Amino acid sequence: MTLLLRAIVGAEDVGVAAELGLTVVPATSVVALASPWAAAGAAGEADLLDHHRVIQAIFARVPCLPARFGSVFPDAGALGARLALRERDLATQLARLGHRCELAITCAWRDGGRVAPATSVPASTGRAYLERGVVRARTQKERQLRADEIVARLLGELAVEPAFIRHRTCPRPAVAVSMSALVTRDEIDQINSRLERLGAQLPDVTTVVQGPWAPYTFAVSE
Amino acid sequence: MREGATLDVPLVELVDRLLNRGVVLTGELTISVAGVDLVYLGLSVVLTSVETIREAGAKI
Repeated sequence: MTLLLRAIVGAEDVGVAAELGLTVVPATSVVALASPWAAAGAAGEADLLDHHRVIQAIFARVPCLPARFGSVFPDAGALGARLALRERDLATQLARLGHRCELAITCAWRDGGRVAPATSVPASTGRAYLERGVVRARTQKERQLRADEIVARLLGELAVEPAFIRHRTCPRPAVAVSMSALVTRDEIDQINSRLERLGAQLPDVTTVVQGPWAPYTFAVSE
Repeated sequence: MREGATLDVPLVELVDRLLNRGVVLTGELTISVAGVDLVYLGLSVVLTSVETIREAGAKI
């Protein structure tokens, strides 16, 4: 039976599998939780979001390491063999991360990242083309600097250990900052309040916090 | 800020994590995801919601 890997949990938490109808592939200290996968064709958006729902259901019950979507094994034996090779590393990661949550913090430009028209010169001329390029480059530089400032504000506000923060600036035209913070559940309300306050002080971006999620960003691949 | 609020906030951040982060056990087959290019296309242009993406998908 082809299996889609969902998450890794501690051996002591194996009971969650029965509750959620998942297949268990055990190692000694950790177990892999998987679902049967019909191998026909590619997955779709619904499968992707379902993967998240399954992981969230696991994570709501027990500490876990979420699996990247798309990890398919021809049978339980193949999955078990791979699990055994990584068991020590996975157990270490699970102990370090499994009880923590990921918050996804996104600061999006309120103007959608659009660059204002550069010139009154007719758009079809070479001069207009060059002027547009100059404006685009200048705008990108200004946005990068502003995004760096926003990161500094976020880091100050979050006051989370640096090892538990990942961020990217200007990853897409519409986004100034994409940040992941690894926090404990009892920190979430306080962090949300702080971010709401900070968001109100940042007129050029909309700040959105998603989560708590399983620690996707911090579960390291081999 | 709540999991239930996911429908109102950017999908791209979640998609990015589902596809690019998380534990990988090497050596397995990897399935492709139909429609992900479409999702990324929509989300790279504007910060949008699941509903918006679905509408965009229906139009394209």
